[in-house]
Amino acid sequence: MDKRATAGKTGIEQGLQLCSICGNYSKQIDNPEICPVCFNDISQRKKNSLQKTWALLITSVVFIIPANLYPITYLLKNNTLYPDTIFSGILSLINSDMLGIALIVFVASIAVPIFKIAALAVIALSVQLHWNLSPKKQLWAFGFVDWIGKWSILDLFVISIMVAVFDKGHLLSVYPGIAATSFTVVVITTLFAANSFDTRLIWDAQTHE
Amino acid sequence: MVSKVPKLKAGYAAKCIRCGRLIAKNSLCDPSGILALCIAALILLVPAFSFPLISIHLLGITEGANLLQGALMMTDNAPVVSFVVLFCAVIAPTLLILTITFSSACLTFNYHPPYLPKIFKITRILIHWSMLEVYMVSLMVAIFKLMTYADLYLGSGFYFFAALLLLNMTILSNYNNHDYWERYIHG
Repeated sequence: MDKRATAGKTGIEQGLQLCSICGNYSKQIDNPEICPVCFNDISQRKKNSLQKTWALLITSVVFIIPANLYPITYLLKNNTLYPDTIFSGILSLINSDMLGIALIVFVASIAVPIFKIAALAVIALSVQLHWNLSPKKQLWAFGFVDWIGKWSILDLFVISIMVAVFDKGHLLSVYPGIAATSFTVVVITTLFAANSFDTRLIWDAQTHE
Repeated sequence: MVSKVPKLKAGYAAKCIRCGRLIAKNSLCDPSGILALCIAALILLVPAFSFPLISIHLLGITEGANLLQGALMMTDNAPVVSFVVLFCAVIAPTLLILTITFSSACLTFNYHPPYLPKIFKITRILIHWSMLEVYMVSLMVAIFKLMTYADLYLGSGFYFFAALLLLNMTILSNYNNHDYWERYIHG
């Protein structure tokens, strides 16, 4: 294996490819499909990266609608069922003077999913249509999406704690609603969408005008 | 973009020349140090997940709630939610610490089984799915929400969980997947 790469030039220009599993690079001609070091699949860019990202993004857009419209939790109190959507839950937090907590829940369950979908869609579109947006800004937005992604699962954990605490049968219990499942799908698909996007495509789109 | 990585001093990191993102780091711990941290984390795992995180005084009874209960009680109503919560809060962190323990132990004692690369591969994926810190913040949110309903006490599990979280963060900031590959390949 000839290991000579010049810094400052892209791997594609030098016919090199980087293994995403073990982090070693090799010549593309020697082994087009398999990494010579760890024997895992290798390619110059993630395969079908844009298609996968789009498919997952569209799925999350579909599921974000029921996630916000249907009740996410049911509170059963003295045999009466009180449904709560994401938004009404936040409103009741504001009404009981817990602005900080309301803000955390709002950011994690409403702002972050919408921002994630919007940011990934803009980045994917600009790569596809060669909009020539600033690559550093795009990467910053992607890094932010990648970092903040897992925090939208916060609301699901809160629900699981509530369910565990309120389990007094007909007197006082909490059940997850349909929106909880839809919301889970939104979180998981956006996480996978960010994962399947290859950030190097942002720079590729800049050079091939 | 190809960047040249100079020889790094311990605790230093190298960044990409094009986008400024981290591409290499030289961690302060070698595998034996990480192994020690992992064993401590493994010991803490059991009480953190099974002891009550919070106790609540409700309808005349005081009852504790632990991490596993909440996820398992949702299996009937919302199996998907239950699985995701269980996976991100319990299964992924446990497996992650187990795989890092195993690979650190192998490298420390110079034992190179042929399936070690598979373990490195799994570890790399699991890092994304271990969400202990998110659970901690959720717990805080839940505590504030519950304070309006009833009297709350922090359970013993909470302290184990907090300690586990700190250890987990230390392990992850010192663990370096690429470095483990290099050590495996070059003996």
